[in-house]
Amino acid sequence: MQVDTLIIGSGIAATALAQRLLDKNRNASILLLEAGSHVMTRDSALWENYLVTGNLPYDQFKDLNYPQKDKPGENANIGGTEVPLAGSRVITVGGSTIHWGGWSFRLKPEDFKLRTNTGFGIDWPISYSDLESYYGEAEHYIGISGDSDDPSVPRSRKYPFSPFPFSLQDQPVARALEALNIPYGNVPIARYGVGENNQNQVPCQTTGTCKYCPFGSRFNATDRLSDMISSNEYQNFNIISGAVVEEIVITSKSQIGGVIYLDKASGKLIQVDAQRVVIAAGSIESAKLLLRSTSPDWKKGLGNDSDIVGRNLVTHPYFIFTGTIKENPLQLQPEMNFPTLCTRHFDSSAEQGAGKFILVNPADTVPVKLASQMHSGMMRDGLNSYVSGPNQVQLHGMIEVFGELHNRVTNFPSRNHLGMFETSVDFTKDSNFDIRMGQIQEHVDKIFQNMGAQIVGKPSISWRADHAASVCRMSNDPASGVLDKNLQVFGLDNLFVCSNAAFSSIGAVNPTLTLTALAIRLGDYLANE
Amino acid sequence: MQPTKSQHPLSATLAPLDDAIRDAMWELFVQIGKFWKNIDDPSEHKPRVYSFMENRIALDPMYRDYYITANNVIKQLVDQYGEVEGYHHLFTDPDAMKSPPATPLALTRQKVSNEFVSLQLAVGGFKAFGAKNYCGFIGGAYVPSAPVPYRTMENHDAG
Ligand SMILES: Cc1cc2nc3c(=O)[nH]c(=O)nc-3n(C[C@H](O)[C@H](O)[C@H](O)COP(=O)(O)OP(=O)(O)OC[C@H]3O[C@@H](n4cnc5c(N)ncnc54)[C@H](O)[C@@H]3O)c2cc1C
Ligand code: SF4
Repeated sequence: MQVDTLIIGSGIAATALAQRLLDKNRNASILLLEAGSHVMTRDSALWENYLVTGNLPYDQFKDLNYPQKDKPGENANIGGTEVPLAGSRVITVGGSTIHWGGWSFRLKPEDFKLRTNTGFGIDWPISYSDLESYYGEAEHYIGISGDSDDPSVPRSRKYPFSPFPFSLQDQPVARALEALNIPYGNVPIARYGVGENNQNQVPCQTTGTCKYCPFGSRFNATDRLSDMISSNEYQNFNIISGAVVEEIVITSKSQIGGVIYLDKASGKLIQVDAQRVVIAAGSIESAKLLLRSTSPDWKKGLGNDSDIVGRNLVTHPYFIFTGTIKENPLQLQPEMNFPTLCTRHFDSSAEQGAGKFILVNPADTVPVKLASQMHSGMMRDGLNSYVSGPNQVQLHGMIEVFGELHNRVTNFPSRNHLGMFETSVDFTKDSNFDIRMGQIQEHVDKIFQNMGAQIVGKPSISWRADHAASVCRMSNDPASGVLDKNLQVFGLDNLFVCSNAAFSSIGAVNPTLTLTALAIRLGDYLANE
Repeated sequence: MQPTKSQHPLSATLAPLDDAIRDAMWELFVQIGKFWKNIDDPSEHKPRVYSFMENRIALDPMYRDYYITANNVIKQLVDQYGEVEGYHHLFTDPDAMKSPPATPLALTRQKVSNEFVSLQLAVGGFKAFGAKNYCGFIGGAYVPSAPVPYRTMENHDAG
């Protein structure tokens, strides 16, 4: 088999890149190799099953938990801080946006200058202005509802859809932030609105079951790929599922010739020759694939002469602060499944050295759970008091942490339940992290006090690898990074990595909008090559 | 939304549910609204309840037996305690919540009645508790300048 552009993976990075190449040339020869299989989307029975049981049709395509003393599992967590893989990605056609939240922030200009501003990590080899127009394209490609007048980042193009108004659940925290002179804004969110969407994009019906949307109103690459295929517009665009890429075929020090993949159905190894290969397999798998592709020229793995591949692993610690309230007179309860209010006030140059962070008012800030109370037999009077009485409030957020060489992922020599090499994760949080969380807690405490809420202990913190990044980072210098500013592996003419793995640093916000901007930019670069 | 596509291979060969059982399940749905006093007239939801049952059976053929079992359990409860007390028992007996369900009553509560409660809340039962939207309710699109499908800070501030 022979193709021009071979893309490994079929997530949003692969899909946005393929779409850009096809926009430039609808006959472009492109093959996506995807390890996972297909999940049925926009299906009413599967939706209702999720509604009443909480079970998702793609749960089986997530990693298992790490092995416990008395329970088998998969992957190895060998560092001082547990970074769970289970739940952090989905191995399926279309990849992990099948379960993403759709929060779609841009990085801020200062994020591209981390080293210059703070002395930590490295600078990006590109600036905010290099990416600005691509951010606009990515917002339109994904379909973001957002506030085009939000002052937190410079922008030259409006969002495609208006922002969702602040919900009533936002009121207490909004009042508190106003009292403390902390500006807040709308969460830019991947939900189709009424406007310039095409016929396959049904505006969000605020149904609130977004992990399985019955209408496909929140971007996911699964739907986008099936729309691309069923349009019959692209004769030379193909996807092969159940294809685990085992290694890159290396033909010389500066050239690769294609890949070898395991066809899960037949158990056979199959070679595909390609003019160029783009690895878009998600952060962790992209690094692992480079590491296991060796030759006499690349003894430590492709692009790994400086021993950087797989290192500098970062993700966002996601924190949840909880407070108690004595009463809930507005009967606040989750009316939505996505947040509408956030503050990027602490996502600023001033906070960059210490670890910038965002705060988000979650959609279930007052976590009233009517169904489970009724299931357990609570009667009507009890429910009335339950809804208006004492409850909890929550405030969520994410904080930037910086890459460290010792934090890394590598291949673990056994296969997971999906037929891929398992992962060894070696991550230990920085010794200053808990001090920083203490400072954040002081801010949140003031906000809670203004809301009339009493903070409950320390926050819960998840280091889950949802935003795993930087393990093949871009740099100006091969000694400190794996990729150049065009996502090309240093020293190789025809190998690229398009993934959060390429991020030089991660900032305080979710990565996927930036990833999509990078993918579209790569599409332009490859089309002009 | 596309029509239902997913189907368990065994479900395709099953005979449809008897009308008597479908009607008994509809009555269960009606009784949920009476017990929790959150939907007075549920009749507009009848087609949705029927298609819900079809979808459940399409995904998992066991649901046909769950609905048949539920019909028997509810009959027995109503015969034994009368209508009001019989449903009260079904909706509140803590033993029926033990997991995994090991009795016909527990199966009826967990696989049928509680699922209907979730559905009933999502089609509109939630409105009795103060909200305008709910996770599972098709609230409608947000169209700038038209009423927002959920309670907003702005509308509330404006009174
Ligand atoms: C619960 C959750 C919520 C999230 N919410 C947000 C959010 O609100 N906003 C945001 O910006 N981000 C969010 N993210 C992160 C977001 O999902 C990722 O940034 C994004 O999906 C990454 O896209 P990708 O294309 O790089 O990788 P993926 O979507 O993971 O796709 C990679 C694909 O490559 C395939 N693959 C891997 N290895 C191989 C191989 N060897 N051979 C063949 N195929 C292979 C995988 O099966 C997968 O399908 C969230 C993540 C999680 C877990
Ligand atoms: S809120 Fe919007 S995106 Fe989420 S399930 Fe409903 S329609 Fe889909």
